[in-house]
Amino acid sequence: MPDPFIFVLFGATGDLSHRKVVPALYQLWRSNLLPHECMFVAIGRRPYDDESFRAEMLTAVSQYSRVKPVDPTIWTEFAKRIVYFHLDFDDPAGFDQLAERLTVIDSEIGGHGNELFYLATQESAFPVIVQQLGRAGLDHEHHAGGWRRIVVEKPFGRDLESAIRLNREVGKVFRESQIYRIDHYLGKETVRNILVFRFGNGIFEPIWNRRYVDHVQITMAESIGVEDRGAFYEETGASRDVLQNHLLQLLTLVAMEPPATFEAEALRDEKVKVLRAVTPMTPSEVRRDVVRGQYGAGWIGDRGIVGYRQEPNVDSESETETFVAAKFEVDDWRWAGVPFYLRTGKRLAKRATEIAIQFKPVPHRLFVDSKTDPEPNLLAMRIQPDEGILLRFVAKVPGLGVDIRAVNMDFTYGSAFNVDSPDAYETLILDALLGDSSLFTRADEVEQAWSIVTPILEAWVEEAEPDFPNHPAGTWGPEEADALIEHDGRRWRRI
Amino acid sequence: MSDTKVQLSRATDPEPGVRAAPGVPVRRWSSRAHTLEEIERELGRLWAAPPGAVPAGEDAERHVAARTSVLNLVVIARRPEIGQRAAAAISELTGRHPSRTMILLPRDPDGPNSLDATIEAYCVVPSDQGAETCAELIHLLAGGEAGRHLEALVAPLLIHDLPVTMWWPSEPIFGSSQAQRLIGMSDRLVVDSSSWGGSGMGPLGDLARIASRVTVCDLAAIRQARWREAIASTFDLPDFLPYLRSIRRVAVTYSTHDEDGDPEGTNVVKPIYHVAWLASRLGMHVERGLHPAPRSRHPAARPAARPAARPAARISGSGPRPGPGGFDATLRDHRSGEVSVVLRPVLFGTPSGTTLRVELLAERRGHELRVDVTAEAEYVHVGVWLNGIEMAQRHFSAPRLTEVDLLAETLESSGPDPVSSSALAMARHLVDGPPETTHRDHEPGGHA
Repeated sequence: MPDPFIFVLFGATGDLSHRKVVPALYQLWRSNLLPHECMFVAIGRRPYDDESFRAEMLTAVSQYSRVKPVDPTIWTEFAKRIVYFHLDFDDPAGFDQLAERLTVIDSEIGGHGNELFYLATQESAFPVIVQQLGRAGLDHEHHAGGWRRIVVEKPFGRDLESAIRLNREVGKVFRESQIYRIDHYLGKETVRNILVFRFGNGIFEPIWNRRYVDHVQITMAESIGVEDRGAFYEETGASRDVLQNHLLQLLTLVAMEPPATFEAEALRDEKVKVLRAVTPMTPSEVRRDVVRGQYGAGWIGDRGIVGYRQEPNVDSESETETFVAAKFEVDDWRWAGVPFYLRTGKRLAKRATEIAIQFKPVPHRLFVDSKTDPEPNLLAMRIQPDEGILLRFVAKVPGLGVDIRAVNMDFTYGSAFNVDSPDAYETLILDALLGDSSLFTRADEVEQAWSIVTPILEAWVEEAEPDFPNHPAGTWGPEEADALIEHDGRRWRRI
Repeated sequence: MSDTKVQLSRATDPEPGVRAAPGVPVRRWSSRAHTLEEIERELGRLWAAPPGAVPAGEDAERHVAARTSVLNLVVIARRPEIGQRAAAAISELTGRHPSRTMILLPRDPDGPNSLDATIEAYCVVPSDQGAETCAELIHLLAGGEAGRHLEALVAPLLIHDLPVTMWWPSEPIFGSSQAQRLIGMSDRLVVDSSSWGGSGMGPLGDLARIASRVTVCDLAAIRQARWREAIASTFDLPDFLPYLRSIRRVAVTYSTHDEDGDPEGTNVVKPIYHVAWLASRLGMHVERGLHPAPRSRHPAARPAARPAARPAARISGSGPRPGPGGFDATLRDHRSGEVSVVLRPVLFGTPSGTTLRVELLAERRGHELRVDVTAEAEYVHVGVWLNGIEMAQRHFSAPRLTEVDLLAETLESSGPDPVSSSALAMARHLVDGPPETTHRDHEPGGHA
């Protein structure tokens, strides 16, 4: 359990706080994972008092909490610890008052000056908040044993240059060990299990290399659209929103070498090595190995779906990509020659995230009388939904003769562990409070990921206008994405 | 049930407290939903539920229902009665081929957008000591625009990592974008081309073209296995084997109800498959595709069909009489040369298009071998004559397969069957003309 602390939430009135951060804090409290000596200071620019803000948070938690209904007794105890603090981010005096208020609260709870600043705001507000925190002296870990940490939400920059600049701005105030860059995907139970699966089992690691693996597919498909985030998405697109962070993070977990220890720096060192082994593409390689798409009108399930350009707050001639598929090479000793195919998109046929390790075929066709050749083995790690792991192998079809068929050995978390997994935000917030930065991205990791994605974005700027929309909603992306992988004699998995 | 749109009930067909007999599928669950999200939620509830479906008095541990699926089975039922027939067949297969089955029934295409789904679980105890396993059956009635986008309903409901078999009991419109999208998401397409309208020749060519992208299983072809086995085993006899490479004529007699000889009046897929199988197995190629028979072969202008070894006596009713129409084609064997093909209709009471007889004529070194094959419900008969002298009369016990048997056989096969694939490819050449013919100059109904 963390030591007594104050959790300072910037952007407390925003969507992320309502949907994720506050419900996660409530859930941690409900699970007795937080000390009684804690306080939550919600900061926003809108006029609330403590009671009205608590009432709004109760509504949010009732709607978004993992465990429903909200227990009134537990909520009352939790809500007592929430205070609202009105603050304009560019008001130095306001930050001075915040510092004074935090000092008072810290003495009230008998804390040790432990403060966690959580930036759930627009990215554009990060520099000024960080600067003001530094000016008000809220970055100093001056109390005996006390800590001050800052959690920064993605997107962390919008290209390599801006990421370096932002790292520099934050780094002027906070030391790297105080900075927790959050990519909530790393907090997902099944993502964390990738490392356990790889390094907690002896039988897989020997075959986890170019000698046995034919290729890797990583898919993050969403059936939802941009919802009310049209303006944000217009500036972001699938590459910045998902490829640069979630997909490349999954790639690092699949491709990394075993770390010497399970400590943050050892883990992150290995992940950065993987990203360094992905050679940035030239413009001609981008044309060959990357496909972008944008959904038009279509159908998903029983509903007609409008095209991206018809979504609210989206330019009617938008060139923002809602789909991206790419082939990467991890050019190191383990993976040389093994392609990693990554794809993500909005308004695809279904919601599914998975990593598939496709093994090579057997070297010799032994069962010549079988109607079918043995299908190569496959290991699929499903991140969501139906979290679990599937291993495909061939077996003899019962009966006379030797006919073979692929069968699945399917492990699902739901059936093996009859407990609810914690939400990613619960995991990550608790880790940040405990000072474990294993699941947070380091500055050089972020920059290395941008160094892979930025050349793609730059190449697109130089290219002719894309022929958008180029696939209907409810499909698996444009035909060019199929051609990308079929050119190599492979196919996207049907998920 | 929190949602008023969904009425969940536990349909326990077996009486409470009464154990279902081993091997007999019983319906354990039934619920309804009206949106995709509700369907997904119901499927989740179905398997997350405690073993409450266990009839009282039974051992609860033994009856923890486990979902078992080896494939996704999607049925495109254009009419309710087709859907009911498919559901009955599939429930029979619960124990042998547990699958997530979706039966899709579009309705009222011009009406409002609607979805009405019934989610059922059928369970089987494989043996007296075995654990109960269950599989899902989802009936989807999609109205209005949703019915024109069935693939959008199917995709989210497929179980990942399991093959998709699409059973299209009625005639697919292969050229439609919806059919292409649905077939595009399948690993295997199951059809029964003998149930298609007209001669069936046009869509048969389309089916063969699709076979390059998806494994095709045509129940019409599988149904003929007993004929093929009888013919093949006849030529296993050493005295007859040499004639196999000297076939000069293949004639298939089929029933018709068409008095006018309209080339599109009778489905001739089954007769075509007989020829296609033989031609593909013997390495023949099509020299001239199927053409409507010349007028000279009209019954008024030709003698009656040669009496068979077991003629009308084995065909009940008033007996067959030569019908108008039919088709001719020419094959070429690189050893025996030209092989004439005759598809000959006879007016008869059996379902139109039913194969009544397959005749092979082979000539070798001045000797003529004639093989005559007919079939009944339980048997296939083969007669062999050499230079007009009866050499053999063989009777094979080979019951006609039911639709459930055919479907089971289809689902059991793990990959493309090379024999069926090559027969289908040959059927395409018979219908479209030889491969080098770039235009379809043998369209059904043309060149009469």
